[in-house]
Amino acid sequence: MKSTKLLGLALATAASTALAFSSHAEEDTVKVGVLHSLSGTMAISETSLRDVLLFTFDEINKAGGVMGKKIEPVVVDGASNWPLFAEKAHQLLEQDKVAVTFGCWTSVSRKSVLPVFEADKGLLFYPVQYEGEEESPDIFYTAEAVNQQATPAVDYLLSKGKKKFYLLGSDYVYPQTTNLILLEYLLSKGVPIENIGGGIKKDDSGKIISAGKYTPFGHTDYQQIVAEIKQFAAGGKACVINTLNGDTNVPFFKEYAAAGLTAETCPVCSFSISEDEFRGLPAKQLVGQLGCWTYFESIKSPANKKFVTNFLSWVKSPKVTGAPDADVKGVKAEGRVTCSPMVLSYDGVYLWKKAVEKAKSFEVTKVVAALEEGIEFDGPGGMVKSQKNHHLTKNVYIGETKADGQFKILKEYPNVVGEPHLMGTFKTKTASN
Amino acid sequence: MPLLPFLRPLLGFAAAFCFATLAAHAESPRVAIAKAIVTEDADEQVKLVGSLTGSTDATVHDLLTAWKEGGTFICTAPSGLLDAPEGSKLAVQLSGPKDADGKQAATRIDTGESLKNADGSAARLLCTDLDAADTSSDLRVVMHSVLELFAIASPDPHTRFNAISQMGLSQDPAQLPVLLARQSIETDSAVKRALREAIAQIQLKSSDSAVQIHAAQELGVLRSLSSRDALLQLATDSDVAAPTVAKAAHAALRLIEQHLSVVNFYGTLFRGLSLGSVLLVVAIGLAITFGLMGVINMAHGELIAVGAYATYLVQNIFGAGVELSPLGYPIHFRGFNAGAAAYDWYFVVALPIAFISAAIVGLILERCVIRFLYRRPLESLLATWGMSLVLQQLFRLVFGANNVQVYSPRWLSGNWTVFDVILGWNRVFVIGFAALIIAGTWLLLNKTPLGLLIRAVMQNRNMAACVGVRTERVNMLTFAFGSGLAGLAGAFLSQIGNVGPILGQDYIVGAFMTVVVGGVGSLAGTVLSALAIGISDQSLQQILLNPVLGKILVLTAIILFLQWKPAGLFVTRSRSLES
Repeated sequence: MKSTKLLGLALATAASTALAFSSHAEEDTVKVGVLHSLSGTMAISETSLRDVLLFTFDEINKAGGVMGKKIEPVVVDGASNWPLFAEKAHQLLEQDKVAVTFGCWTSVSRKSVLPVFEADKGLLFYPVQYEGEEESPDIFYTAEAVNQQATPAVDYLLSKGKKKFYLLGSDYVYPQTTNLILLEYLLSKGVPIENIGGGIKKDDSGKIISAGKYTPFGHTDYQQIVAEIKQFAAGGKACVINTLNGDTNVPFFKEYAAAGLTAETCPVCSFSISEDEFRGLPAKQLVGQLGCWTYFESIKSPANKKFVTNFLSWVKSPKVTGAPDADVKGVKAEGRVTCSPMVLSYDGVYLWKKAVEKAKSFEVTKVVAALEEGIEFDGPGGMVKSQKNHHLTKNVYIGETKADGQFKILKEYPNVVGEPHLMGTFKTKTASN
Repeated sequence: MPLLPFLRPLLGFAAAFCFATLAAHAESPRVAIAKAIVTEDADEQVKLVGSLTGSTDATVHDLLTAWKEGGTFICTAPSGLLDAPEGSKLAVQLSGPKDADGKQAATRIDTGESLKNADGSAARLLCTDLDAADTSSDLRVVMHSVLELFAIASPDPHTRFNAISQMGLSQDPAQLPVLLARQSIETDSAVKRALREAIAQIQLKSSDSAVQIHAAQELGVLRSLSSRDALLQLATDSDVAAPTVAKAAHAALRLIEQHLSVVNFYGTLFRGLSLGSVLLVVAIGLAITFGLMGVINMAHGELIAVGAYATYLVQNIFGAGVELSPLGYPIHFRGFNAGAAAYDWYFVVALPIAFISAAIVGLILERCVIRFLYRRPLESLLATWGMSLVLQQLFRLVFGANNVQVYSPRWLSGNWTVFDVILGWNRVFVIGFAALIIAGTWLLLNKTPLGLLIRAVMQNRNMAACVGVRTERVNMLTFAFGSGLAGLAGAFLSQIGNVGPILGQDYIVGAFMTVVVGGVGSLAGTVLSALAIGISDQSLQQILLNPVLGKILVLTAIILFLQWKPAGLFVTRSRSLES
């Protein structure tokens, strides 16, 4: 008890001295929050986003900052703990008074900070592909909406003559919602319901409440599911839509390969495996399988080339120029790649910068108004444009995994408008039954 | 000697003439393939390769096969090449040995000639400057269909089988004559069956309803699982138009469904057996340390992880080596770049090394912590739990927080299909592996002097000490042995799942469950409970079509079972437990 009090006292003193110092520098810097998990289970994914954000701040500060003010990052650790995310958001908004926050990965972390941002009128940029059905006035979703990842992937597979779709995912909100939307979408494209594998669950009134097969996090035994897919795909023209998260993909793909299923007989299109996740997966077993994102590191554009080289050289000597505490610690330099959530974080920072410059103010309401009018930025993944519904218009790419952990781009869908509310918008074709 | 200057131009002329005739023959497929390799447009590639369908030219087969296997390269022409402007893209194949600079001679794919400098001398390319031409799955599908014609005449029955099955699924009537021609000369029984199946599948598309009915009957007789979709389609399509065809299709579907339920039954049994074996392999070490010795060993999972990481190290030493930097001190393991054949056997070497390294870690654990706690089980729980956290952090420091990649050797990543039941080699392996471990452990405990000492010490430590057994030493060896078994489990788990710092956490609960249900202290109980849990888990998954619900039911059943029989399946009566 005593020690906590002492600690609290020490923290308070530290904070007040910090405040005293920073008020000194207030004239020429603007505080920006970074809210990611730097410890716990999500740290593996989210640390990369912290790195890319700091890199972006450094790049902007070197070029003169935002409206002449240097960005001063306030990095807090959500520690993969959802209530802590809300607490840290409080701290950023009320104590540090940040102008904008970039952060969150999982949908549950976003849902837990959402009321905080709405109550305090903050502004959050959210960069990771998500299930939609949400449109907060205080959040900007640079993330892929379902129609910027899942439905283009299905379009692609349909165009390649696939007729049967097996839905498989981890058991949480993103796969469940995405698959329900995909079910509607597939039905609207004339795919009969018996050609959609994984199982359909209905409630008492006959309304479909769940489509597809779900396994818990950390599931290790995919024998039964793979045997089911093998029978499902026996007649050819089948594919798997995979929303399994993180490392549960490893036992799944190992079993998949061992059962003699390949990308040629039955391709798997995954929505949660980007270049960054790929580093922990057995690349050989995934070769030829599909991915769909709004950015791939292998995009051959000058903007992307510049982004990748600059980022890779930044991680070797990470610092944020112009910030009071310029040195950045804990950035790994070896084996780095860039991936879609990283680029969407990067795009988010530049969109915010442009909106601030257009609004000529850091005030959240004015910045949001500017963003809603439509701000364009030519990012590494191509041109992105903010929309009135707080999502982005951007290019969607279908890629195929290669043994070196990169994607070969097969197809590009340019300028797809982000649409969060998809549930119930697709009308079922009633041609068959 | 004096002849030579005269001969040289002649020879050159002869060679040029040869190439010219060759090129004239092979020009179009070679040029098409070369174009397809260098173009960046995926659709164009598919079109170019597709244009080769029906070709019987052996170069097409060789080049496409080389391309698929990464044996063709794209080179950006350096200056001074014959017939290739600087900077243009060339499709080449490499040949001959590498020289000291790592350069190799190359053959141009579009002409089939060797790559030459402007002065006519052979040009050599630096391999690291080249990109291997890659393929997309669409492209491979097209390549398959081009290669099918070659494959169907391949000497390897397996290749023939795959090609024929694929042709059947495409239901393309154009391919029927090829298949019928093959049928008259085919000798392999499995391929013959595939031919009958493929022919019948294509005949389903026939316009003659008598042929359709016959084809449907044939597929029913063959119990062809892959025809289910086609038959269903036929049944719905011809429901009104040709009721007799629909009837035949339905009859065939019924036969296939019956067959399917038999397949599923045996498939589930096999999968249950293999899951049980995984559990058994994981739990057998714990059956020694917890079951026999009574140490509530929460670090068991981390000992498994030690085995998995040892496998990872061995794999890398067989490959290109690995650089680790625990606490900032880099350690470099030199790899000896074994060839593909030798590399596949890394796993055999990894098994004993996994056993030994986990045994050593177990030994250290026993000497430093557990030996002080034999009479205090609750403290041993806390201490080993603490050790497990320390070990996990150690893995993070040494190998990083990300998972590491362990590749399965080829002999563990295929499968046998027996009457449509898939027997994965890794699964067959784990069943045999579990049987071997059990047999070995049983022999050690019951047929060796050390086993006698172990059993004596476990039954009554004080009495054993009185008659002169060095109980300390026996404890140490037993714990190391149990730990080594955990290491073996880790080596196997690396083949089917993740290798990461928290690998052990995924399996520790299952391991304890198995040992407790089986009856603490009983090997036979552990075996029986592992198999029972495995089979009931898989059967429930099959019946309920839901992996989570099945697990919950199994856990509930275990809780109820332990209410009824708290000591597990087999109760061991020993004095030490009574005290």
